[in-house]
Amino acid sequence: MIFQQLINGLMLGASYALIAVGYTLIFGVLNLLYFAHGEVFMVGAFVGLFLVLYAGVGIWGALLGAMIACAVLGVIAVYVSVRPISKDHPLAPLISTIGLTMILQNLAVYLIGGQQVAFPETLTQQLYTFGPVTISSTQLFILVVAVALMAALWLFIEHSKTGRAIRATAENHETAALLGVNVNRVVLITFIIGSGIAGIAGVLDGIKNSGISPFMGLSAAVKGLIVMLLGGLGNVPGAMVAGLLLGMIEIRSAAYIGTTERDLFSFLILILILLYKPTGLFGTRTAEER
Amino acid sequence: MFEGLLDGYTRSLLIFGGINVIAAYSFYLPFKTGQVSLGQAGFMAVGAYVSAIITAKFGLPFAVALVAGGLLAGIIGVLVGFPALRIKGIYLLLLTLGFAEIISVIALSWEYVGGAQGFRGIKFNPYTLEYVIGIIIVLIFFFARLERSSLGRAMDSIHQDETAAEVMGIDVVRIKLLAFGLGAVIAGIAGALYAHHATFMDSTTFSIMMGVEILMFVVVGGGSTYWGPLAGAVALNLIPEFLRALREWLELIPVSWTNFYPMDRAYKFLHEFLDFENAKRLIAFGIILIVMMILRPDGLLTRDSVRRLRTKLRFPRWRARHA
Repeated sequence: MIFQQLINGLMLGASYALIAVGYTLIFGVLNLLYFAHGEVFMVGAFVGLFLVLYAGVGIWGALLGAMIACAVLGVIAVYVSVRPISKDHPLAPLISTIGLTMILQNLAVYLIGGQQVAFPETLTQQLYTFGPVTISSTQLFILVVAVALMAALWLFIEHSKTGRAIRATAENHETAALLGVNVNRVVLITFIIGSGIAGIAGVLDGIKNSGISPFMGLSAAVKGLIVMLLGGLGNVPGAMVAGLLLGMIEIRSAAYIGTTERDLFSFLILILILLYKPTGLFGTRTAEER
Repeated sequence: MFEGLLDGYTRSLLIFGGINVIAAYSFYLPFKTGQVSLGQAGFMAVGAYVSAIITAKFGLPFAVALVAGGLLAGIIGVLVGFPALRIKGIYLLLLTLGFAEIISVIALSWEYVGGAQGFRGIKFNPYTLEYVIGIIIVLIFFFARLERSSLGRAMDSIHQDETAAEVMGIDVVRIKLLAFGLGAVIAGIAGALYAHHATFMDSTTFSIMMGVEILMFVVVGGGSTYWGPLAGAVALNLIPEFLRALREWLELIPVSWTNFYPMDRAYKFLHEFLDFENAKRLIAFGIILIVMMILRPDGLLTRDSVRRLRTKLRFPRWRARHA
């Protein structure tokens, strides 16, 4: 029982972690609460759905298509709601990304309608049993993709030249620019990576819940925020671990106290972290809070 | 008041617009000391639920409920304000957002106030418009006095530089708490008015998006002057109505002008575009927000533009002081 719950928690946490990784990357580099990230996640889910339904591609095609579409969306977001905004108004970029959130969400409502859409079955259902744990092929697929993606991202951030530039920019814009880092390019790359991962997370969420709606972005965004904070702002490995952790905590608390109170629990965690350990469980990587 | 003048639609529009103005002022007060809160919708929910319990479950008059709702929201505001003193920026945004979510989860799971079915059977208050107008006038008067008072100046100085303000001998903790608590009182009042006009609410009524909208009113209107929240809330509430009116004017064009080839297409496109159902209205909102932040990140009104307007309108008393 407890192992089964651990696996379920990992599943839930994997999608939280994927969203939070993008959040924390973008927050680290720009010091910006990027509100539209949840909507990018939602767009990814719908792109995946349409690719499966109308282009007849398999699940890999859907993942790849959603990733590319969301990466493009990330570039658009930079050019529309980040670059043109003046830097001396701390609230201005927050508001402009809220504007982007409203546009994306309501565009989806307008084009698709406000109700839930079923996600077609793309994987053959099969159950595997490992000792006390039963895991379906869908769950296994989601877990493997999410973990592989996070491992790849970690390697990229820690060991590539661009990754080092991202870390340097997160620590200090001016110093990084002085040392020859093209900060604008780093911001763009960060948005591309973060949004692409959010797109994949969207498709994975669609497979898992077998239904998606234009309103799925907001709750995902809020959960992503909690995870980002839990892992420490701007801390990518922290976000990965914290995502899995929150998923497991939620599953455990849902088992004990019920599903409505589950959310209460995650927000209490948010507030406790804010008050007693604002650097998160694993420390922040950004210069100073704004 | 106004019985013969307004039809039901206009009346409702004015009431919801007015409640938005009050909510915008509830955000503006803590913002004056530099505290940015996404949780004003949570305080509105506290005021709304408390007042609705008082009128619907205990049968007390609305005026009592309004005061009680505001006061309880204020007490909770001070309780939230204490931890909020220690943090700022994005951390404070997240804290207030978390608070609002906790309130909505409580509303969802507390069966006494309807739980998932929502709070039904709240008494309709026929004088909401009068209350709203009266409260807005009081608020504007209050903020006009505040701006010229030592307390208001102390708030501005905290907004600009907290350390410097503290060094100057300003009691930063007391003033920030006061601003946060009073802001919560105003939000609670707005919530109580909302509940007794809409007569129904559930846990999704006072959502994150509502908190975001309240923040938007102030930023779009301009956060540096007390006319800003009023301007922002009025502008953002009137834009959709204006677009609707445009569509009605479009229909006044004689048919013979538009029933040949290029014109009929253009007419049809415009007509459909101005058909503002909710989704399209919010898309237009989003576009306006982004354009606004690019062109006027300080908001519609700033302190300087208000001053210029006043000189243009020739308010001699004011000009004399600032010569």
